[in-house]
Amino acid sequence: MKRREFLQAVSRIGGWAVSARLLAYYPPIRLSAYPSLLIPMDDAQSDHLKAYGVTYRVVQAGIKAEWLLNYRGGSFLVPDGPAIRRDATLAGVGFEAVDDGQVAGIRGEIEANNMDAVPLEKAPKVAVYVPPNAPPWDDAVTMALQYAGIPFEKVWDFEVVAGKLPTYDWLHLHHEDFTGQYSKFYLIYAGAPWLAEMVRFNGDAARRLGFETVPDLKKAVARKIRDFVENGGFLFAMCTATETIDLALAAERVDIAAAFADGTPMDPQADRKLDWTRALAFTGAHVEPNPQIASFSDIDGHQVNAGPRRQPLGAFKLFNFSAKIDPVPTMLVQSHRQVIPDFYGLTTSFVRDRLKPSDLVLADEEGAPWVKYIHGDHGKGTWTFFGGHDPEDQQHQIGDPPTDLSLHPHSPGYRLILNNVLFPAAKKRELKT
Amino acid sequence: MRPHRGECVVAPARDSRPEGWARRIVALKGNALQGSAGPSPGFSLGITGLALSLLLPLRSLPAQAIGQGVELERAGQYDRAASLYFATLRADPTNLAALLGLERVLPPLNRLEELLPVARRAAAAGPQRAALRGVLLRTYVALSETDSARSVALAWAADAPRDEAPYRDWAIALEDYHHHDAAREVLLLGRRAVGRPAAFAIELAELDQRTGDWESAAREWAAAVTESPAQLPNAAGDLSEAPEVQRERVTRVLTSGDPPAVTRRLAGELLLGWGQPQRAWDVFAPSVATPSADAAYALRRFADLAAASNTPAARRVGALALARFAEMVPEPLAVRARADAARAFLEAGDRAAARDVLERVARDSAAPADAQALAQSAVIEALIDGGQLDEAGRRLDAEGRLTAEGRAALRLRLAEAWVRRGDLDRAAQALARDSSVDALAQRGWIALYRGRVQEAQQLFKAAGPYAGHRRDATERSAMLALLQQIPTATFPELGAALLTLARGDSVPAVAALRLAAVHLETGGSGGGRPDILLVAGRVAARLGPDERRVALALFAEVVRTGGSGAAAPAAELEWARLLERGQRTAEAIQHLEHLILSYPGSAVVPEARRELERAKGAIPKS
Repeated sequence: MKRREFLQAVSRIGGWAVSARLLAYYPPIRLSAYPSLLIPMDDAQSDHLKAYGVTYRVVQAGIKAEWLLNYRGGSFLVPDGPAIRRDATLAGVGFEAVDDGQVAGIRGEIEANNMDAVPLEKAPKVAVYVPPNAPPWDDAVTMALQYAGIPFEKVWDFEVVAGKLPTYDWLHLHHEDFTGQYSKFYLIYAGAPWLAEMVRFNGDAARRLGFETVPDLKKAVARKIRDFVENGGFLFAMCTATETIDLALAAERVDIAAAFADGTPMDPQADRKLDWTRALAFTGAHVEPNPQIASFSDIDGHQVNAGPRRQPLGAFKLFNFSAKIDPVPTMLVQSHRQVIPDFYGLTTSFVRDRLKPSDLVLADEEGAPWVKYIHGDHGKGTWTFFGGHDPEDQQHQIGDPPTDLSLHPHSPGYRLILNNVLFPAAKKRELKT
Repeated sequence: MRPHRGECVVAPARDSRPEGWARRIVALKGNALQGSAGPSPGFSLGITGLALSLLLPLRSLPAQAIGQGVELERAGQYDRAASLYFATLRADPTNLAALLGLERVLPPLNRLEELLPVARRAAAAGPQRAALRGVLLRTYVALSETDSARSVALAWAADAPRDEAPYRDWAIALEDYHHHDAAREVLLLGRRAVGRPAAFAIELAELDQRTGDWESAAREWAAAVTESPAQLPNAAGDLSEAPEVQRERVTRVLTSGDPPAVTRRLAGELLLGWGQPQRAWDVFAPSVATPSADAAYALRRFADLAAASNTPAARRVGALALARFAEMVPEPLAVRARADAARAFLEAGDRAAARDVLERVARDSAAPADAQALAQSAVIEALIDGGQLDEAGRRLDAEGRLTAEGRAALRLRLAEAWVRRGDLDRAAQALARDSSVDALAQRGWIALYRGRVQEAQQLFKAAGPYAGHRRDATERSAMLALLQQIPTATFPELGAALLTLARGDSVPAVAALRLAAVHLETGGSGGGRPDILLVAGRVAARLGPDERRVALALFAEVVRTGGSGAAAPAAELEWARLLERGQRTAEAIQHLEHLILSYPGSAVVPEARRELERAKGAIPKS
């Protein structure tokens, strides 16, 4: 979708006497004087996930959209135009044409309630941290991006170490075990060819990048990612990456990897030597000392592969925030459902006692000692951690078919992922909490 | 199982984990393990110990303490549990439950070395108790004290020369810590020591599998099943996972020389699972040359496995197995087996063999009535499938042993066969006395082939949506939608074209449908013309390259001239699908987008959107 087409469409519909080119030089203004399209995000919407893609493309074309927080499930207001209508129709996204009077009514309702209208002005440049040989259906976020039609680029250790992260606005982490222990898969899948390939691939990368061991490499990558956040980047992590990146950051000078990963056993005094001031979200956690137990630490509440420690799944509830005072967390929890069935991952949830006081909890399981979805600031940037592997696959196993999102177009869990993709597009001044 | 790299996964809850054979061995000892996904030796074997401990006679106070310890473990209070267990051992140094409890709780506390002195004390106090020695042995292995572990194991073996337990426990302990090579050496040592060539064959087979040495695994499994034929299903299950490049080697190991019967059966099962049914039978058959209960069981199993495979060749060898099985079992079973064999032969396309088997059953006056009816029904089916329709009809009329439902189903099948032959009169005659909805539906088709459009509509409506399979009902509904647009009560050209199609002459049918459409346009208001062209296009799209080009042209014409009817968007969808099959994805996308935008209310839009997502790579191809 070309920016020029969108602009031309808008200028024709709006009847402006200015050329599409001139529009590019004018400061962004609210287009409330023009007919608009409301993309509702309540139960009237035919495809919630693709709605994010439509909105993203509008913003990507340089057209301002608005995110109407808490209004009809977190709807979007975009200018009316044949190109936008076309995009929405092809995507199967429901929309309603609203005239100025209706827009005024919407704004009045927003003003009078716990709602807000946040301008979205710049589509973030999205990167996903994933090895080059990973298939596209490898994780929930890439699937969501593919489905919604939001472009992304892949980065891995080579790009991160070479300092390419600052060229992106938004970074996603998912499967990676930043402790360098291959997610302890050897405990279950020892001898499997794909695991041997993973070990070979990572070992080769470590050597080529000048690191003695894979854990050393992953720690360096973790530090680069932290720097990216510190300098204003947006980080979204799920599953293993959440817990292990913080473990890697806290263990900068401590060996917490088992012998199979780096040839030396982990430091028996590791817990005492971890420096949690270097981590993003967690503190005071105990690293799993037994290499035979498929767990990284006591950060994860569910311990899915740790035998008797495994906890059953429940459901988690999204918190409510003040849209006008706390627009950022409000954006992150936009959904048409408040209670969402939980889903496992190698890291499923985060024990409350392991959170830093500055962490903002966005969702938790009532009565449980863990939370599901957290957010925080670091330097000029922000991070969000969401436990679990795939919101529409409660218990994913190796070899299971990938989730087909066309069968889950209303997934509230996937909406949370896409909230994170879109929120960096919000105008900077609105992001203070 | 094709794993993806690095997925955040939950461990599978089945017995293929590294310690699978260890658990199996323990299961053989009469203990049941919980289905835990935890791989830690402390947990997996400790749970065994927990089960064992519950079987041992316990004095009341230590029993109470053990119970409390277990509860503390469940609550994650390992420290307190350890204290309880230590206290129990101070009072009773050989308390196995307490030792096993410590074996579970000390590793997560990083205090495993504290187990050593108490384990040594226990083993010294009760050297005749294998379980105590086992704890000490495992502890040494866990603490990487190789020499001490060896010393304990050998001393134990020396005290019980023919006992496999020392070597087994030693190997299990090593295996739990992924010292595969050392575990193998121990098992081989044990094999020599106990003097039984097949000792530890299962364990060695699983070790070999783990390291990818499938040939050696096959040799070990062959030894295991020869000694214990009951292991055949386990052997087949494990060896079936051999990668494709290794399968020939595995087969050679099992079939070289003059292998024993059970090894042939194993090879046969594997080949069947690997898609080589005829070879499977060739290898398997000599193992059942001599009738016996054992051979009969093996034949039944082979037949069941063949039936699970959906290929004609597999069905055929399944039928051979059933026919042979019938020769080994008493009459009631034999008759049923012959009937099943006949059906399998039919499904495999071997009518001659099916008929031979069935005639035998049908002639057998001692066979039960239902078996005879089944056989007679299968004979008639074979006659119909073989094109002997007159003979089939005659038998259908004469045969008194068929059930009413069976007879009705056969009449329907005979009518369909007459239609395929083009003899509509005989088809109608076959259904003359049948008033079922299935017969109404078939009569509707017969009327349509005769060009009696209005009569066909009435019969299809009378048949309703439940006649036949769902696919038949859908086809009927689609045809009804087409017929309702035709302005005339009769349309012989359309009927003839559809009959040509029903007879399997697809290429002439396409031409005939196009001619019928032209006739409709010139003869009347043109109603139904796009729908007829759409039918022609769909048929052509399934044929060769030349016909596919015709299909594209037909779809284009329907889109151009179809107006606001349902045919135009349906034709555009078929057009896009055909382009996508021909790797012309960009063009396919254009058509799908055009369809969605131009016909927003069409019933095919959801399908089109899904095709569009697939074409753009937005969803995985399925």
